[in-house]
Order: sequence, then C-alpha cells, then structure tokens
Amino acid sequence: MGKVIVVTSGKGGVGKTTTTANLGTALALLGKTVVVVDADVGLRNLDIVMGLESRVVYTSMDVIDKQCELSKALVKDRRVDGLTLLAASQKNNKDDMQPEEMKAICSKLQTDHDFVLVDSPAGIERGFNNASAGAEEAIVVTTPDVSAIRDADRIIGLLQHAGIEPINLVLNRFSPQLVGNGSMMDQADVLDILNIDLLGIVPEDLGVITSTNRGIPLVYEDTSAGSQAYMRIARRLTGQRIPIPDLEEKGFLSNIVNWFTRNR
Amino acid sequence: MNISIKQLFGRKPKSSSIAKQRLKLVITQDRLDVDDRFMTRLHHELAEVLAKYFEFSVNSVQMSLKQEGNSYVLVADIPYKKFHDANPR
Repeated sequence: MGKVIVVTSGKGGVGKTTTTANLGTALALLGKTVVVVDADVGLRNLDIVMGLESRVVYTSMDVIDKQCELSKALVKDRRVDGLTLLAASQKNNKDDMQPEEMKAICSKLQTDHDFVLVDSPAGIERGFNNASAGAEEAIVVTTPDVSAIRDADRIIGLLQHAGIEPINLVLNRFSPQLVGNGSMMDQADVLDILNIDLLGIVPEDLGVITSTNRGIPLVYEDTSAGSQAYMRIARRLTGQRIPIPDLEEKGFLSNIVNWFTRNR
Repeated sequence: MNISIKQLFGRKPKSSSIAKQRLKLVITQDRLDVDDRFMTRLHHELAEVLAKYFEFSVNSVQMSLKQEGNSYVLVADIPYKKFHDANPR
C-alpha cells in the first residue's frame, strides 16, 4: 500500500508542477513505483512539463466517465522504470469532477504504487478540494515571499482542517545570495511563520527553465543545485535521513556580526 | 534581539525582516479571522475606556496581535502623559 501525497501551495507559479515532476521522477530513479496525477482539470500542465504531452490518450475524466480502465489511462514514462502519469482533461473544468471520484482513483492507484503524487491547482476552491480528497499527506510548496507564504498559511489551515497529516514544506526558489544580504527571508523566518516541518529547500536554478523547455525534469542530470535538492527531498520521502544543508551565503560583515552576537 | 543589534550596524532594517514582521501580523489576523474593522473598533473602544484613567493621544496607541507558541497575544502600546482619576472618591 503506497502513500498518496498532494503537492499544493495556494498561490500559483511557485513551482508545484515542477516539484511534482521532479519528485516523481526522482522517486522512480530511486527504484520506487510512482504515479503522478495532474489534478488541474482544464489547465493541465504536468504532461508538458514532464515531456509526455504527445503520449496522453486518456485522462482521469475518461476513467470517471468509464470510457477506459484506470490502468489504460496511465502514460508510462519510458526514460525510467516505474513512473507513470495520469493526465487531467483539458476540455472539462473543475466542477466536472467530484472529490469522491478523485479519492476513488487515488485509493486504487495506491494499491499498486509506492507513491501517488497529486499535483494540485492553485487556489482554495474546488480544484484544491478535488486534489486533496484522496491525500493522506501533503507537501506545501512556497517561495520565500510575502504573498506565497500568506497563501501557504491559508492552505496549511485547510489541510489541517481536512485531517491531512503530516504536512511538510518545500521552500522553493531560495536564493542564498539574497538571503545573505538580507533581501530574502531565510528558512528559519519562513518556518517561524508557517510552523510546519521542512522537507527541503530548492535553490533558485535557472536550469528549470531549459529543462521545462525540453520536457526533461531536472533530476535526470545530477549536477545542478536544483537537481541535487530534489534528489535529497525524494530520499527523505523514502524515509532516509538526509540533513538539510545550510545554503545561506554569509557575507564578511555578517559573519563578524554573527560572531559577536552568537551567544545572545 | 539579534536583529536589533544588527540594525545598529546598518542604516535601515533589512527588507527581509520587514517582510517577516508584516507577514506575522497579517497571518495572525488571517488565522483568527480578525479584520481591520474589528481591530479599529477594538482600538476605539479600548481608547474610550483607557481615557477614563490616563491622558494620552489616541493616535499614539499601537495595537497588534502576535502569536507566541500556540497562543495569541494582544499587544497594546499606550504612551500616556499622566494618570488621572476620573472618579475621585
């Protein structure tokens, strides 16, 4: 019996789909069986981010409408063993799906996969409710800016209300330089506000842009900072204890001030 | 503590600490489902009661909600000029 994990954020554009694609691929690279589910009915993107858009034949809506078997709707990723995608319908909208229907799909998928990762749409309405309906755990993705964190806090409240536990945080697009010069909140600031456990920090990596252009998730190449961060997060999801490295770049003056104030 | 010492070395507070401060306040209000109108009303009513005992300027009263661990704290900063007894015995 596998885990159903919803990847969500509240705010759009913080990297939910990128995170889902990379963690799904990373878990498969670690030998797990994984299905990534696009829950963004009407605005599907997980297929194109993963480079599988030309191979989608059926969607979750076809499964719900009994047009095809669930197993037949899963698109196999040929680059790695054990990874499949369940695409969202592009011609329907979020109200065409019931939370119970998504829940039924997730519980079927978890019987023969180690991980079911559900990519949630932005927002707190029906799309989010559908995406989280079958989830036992949640990954909240946020960037270190005021609007993303405020929205993340709202989503965390809704997830807690729904009894989803644990809820872990992925801090995305973290810039060590900006944190170092005081222009960006660091992980301690964000965790102090949101009060949930940190699953990992993904540094800002421009490689995400080219990897998305090509439809090849970052984790296929293991050299970039983003790729390594996603691999570490995937290992933590499998239960390995991997410490979170301190990415903050401290300037000379900041080091001196910290040295003088470290015991206070 | 750490921040205030660091601020002695810099001219103005870092934007990251301003962001954190603003977020903490707004998220506490979000969580408690408290809006600006509520805070304004509380501000006025509190000032009305306090005016019986202290002489102060209403505009100088600063009020904010803070979260400390699992509980919320209402912090009111009221610089007063002098104490006066409205109902002398």
